[in-house]
Amino acid sequence: MVFSSITFLFIFLPVILVLYYIIPDKFKNVVMLSASLIFYAWGEPLYVIFLILSILFNYVCGLDIGAKQKDLRKAKLSLVFAVTVNICFLGFFKYYGFLMDSLNAVLPVNIPYRELPLPIGISIYILQAISYLVDVYRREAEPQKNILHLGLYISMFPQLTAGPIVRYIHIEEQLKRRTLSTRRFGQGAVYFITGLGKKVILANSAGNVFEHIWGLQAGHVSVLTAWIGCISFGFQIYFELSGYSDMAMGLAKMFGFEFPKNFDYPYTASSISGFWKRWHISLGNWFREYVYIPLGTGHQGRSRQVLNLLIVWMLIGFWYGDSWTFLFWGLYYGILLIMERFWWGRSMKRMPSVVRHIYTMALILIGWVFFFSPSLGAAVKYMGVMFGPGASGFIDKQAFFYVTTHWLLYLTAILGSSTAGYRGIRYIIDSFEDGRAKKAAASVIYIGIFLISIAYLVTEPSNSLLYFKF
Amino acid sequence: MTEFLKYVTLTVIIGYVVLLIVFTSGSTKPFQEIEQGVENSIDTEKLEKSDMQALKRYYGLNAADYAGVMLYTSESSMSTEEVLLIKVKDDGQMQQVMGTVERRIESRKNDFEGYSPKQMQLLEEAQVSVRGKYLFMAISPRAEEYKAAYMKSL
Repeated sequence: MVFSSITFLFIFLPVILVLYYIIPDKFKNVVMLSASLIFYAWGEPLYVIFLILSILFNYVCGLDIGAKQKDLRKAKLSLVFAVTVNICFLGFFKYYGFLMDSLNAVLPVNIPYRELPLPIGISIYILQAISYLVDVYRREAEPQKNILHLGLYISMFPQLTAGPIVRYIHIEEQLKRRTLSTRRFGQGAVYFITGLGKKVILANSAGNVFEHIWGLQAGHVSVLTAWIGCISFGFQIYFELSGYSDMAMGLAKMFGFEFPKNFDYPYTASSISGFWKRWHISLGNWFREYVYIPLGTGHQGRSRQVLNLLIVWMLIGFWYGDSWTFLFWGLYYGILLIMERFWWGRSMKRMPSVVRHIYTMALILIGWVFFFSPSLGAAVKYMGVMFGPGASGFIDKQAFFYVTTHWLLYLTAILGSSTAGYRGIRYIIDSFEDGRAKKAAASVIYIGIFLISIAYLVTEPSNSLLYFKF
Repeated sequence: MTEFLKYVTLTVIIGYVVLLIVFTSGSTKPFQEIEQGVENSIDTEKLEKSDMQALKRYYGLNAADYAGVMLYTSESSMSTEEVLLIKVKDDGQMQQVMGTVERRIESRKNDFEGYSPKQMQLLEEAQVSVRGKYLFMAISPRAEEYKAAYMKSL
């Protein structure tokens, strides 16, 4: 089950919301946990058992670390064991096939192996489990004695499949007590509808254009068409990931939780470091808190800082996908960030804003080529088309067709990926002086987005799920 | 106690993963090999191999997006018999394909509901299997036989 499905929108969510609001407070966590496990089991009836066992394992490990805190060495060993096991779980399901394929590519013999599908959301809930264990070890959080609370943190359905990755200390108090209000519910509904529109209307539409261009025969693609394809993918992945994050935030609010923002208009950034402060913020924070800082912060020599950054960015690349292209994509950004920090970052700040923005967007779009290509060779080939050598010409009828038939999509996407979209909606609402008129205007706008999204869901067969790869 | 429990839990998890590998894992054999294994069992008097346009028409899927596709459909429009074998490239595709297959079966049920109990029964007894990156679907009186051939060829 996914948020952008009729089953979720019209059956699962309404039933759970009604149950949640009518049930006494002391049973709300039970309802939420049960709903989360049902939500997960809907798509993964076998792997829900693995999720439950993982919760049980991390619950016991958290208590074990807490029990050994008087002896730092024992507590550290317990932490290392628990984190290693969690990483092994993730490594086995996500990277085992990649490792075996890579070995088979270089060895003279072919080692057969049985591959298992990737459990949905494992990249999210394993990182959340590690967050809990480390926060307990660091004494930033108490070991959770209530397995239902820990289970809810790890498996909460609003963020289980697509994030954001919420640090345990940010949610610890909310697991015990949280307030529900119509205002919060309304804010949650706005976030949810915005996210749904981003995913269903913008991401799916941009994705269709990208799929079409990607499927064009080699040698029949112009430079402009290739760039349109790359830009389309850039919009697709942004609106899909940020759309799901908005839906997660919205659902969390409806159930009384507050999640941190995960995307902050990243395409408005004027540097690569600025982009990564706005893109998948929770992931960046997790790697900074649990990988980069433990490796040693910026107090060491430059060469150590460079090495640490490269390690972190390789891991971030690998988190996104199990292939050499993702590793390369991570390293690509690692190198760019190192360059900005130690070489041209300062001189860049003196450049006009538009130049910085073009520089940033060009590098981001080139990065997406590695992200969407199935191999490094395919990425190089596609870039060859983007920059001329492999193209059929600079512009062709295809490019003209995409621009003329999808101009509204691209205009909406540009507005939607900047603050202009939100400011436009606020301008319309604030143009009314009367409070009731403002509410009516807001209702019309958001109900309109919701109805258009439903129309797209019903009629549009494509519902790409990029984040299922993570 | 917690020390003991964490090893017990870990052992249970490893045991469960082993069960998953034995009963649900897919195959790394080439698609052509699996396809051949299934095709050898198909009744070609009733089913004919369809082209990729049929995949687009019936399922809304582009064959070029997948690592391998095999589709057999009935020559008669009054029959629901179909055999589909798809190898996806990643797990994100599998969710999409599964949704499409479920919608296909539902759509066929709507087409035949009320006037062909025999075809409805075939649809109710459709065999769908996901193993690793392979999805198999058979709607046929011999669906179980086709599924057995598929499982054997993995």
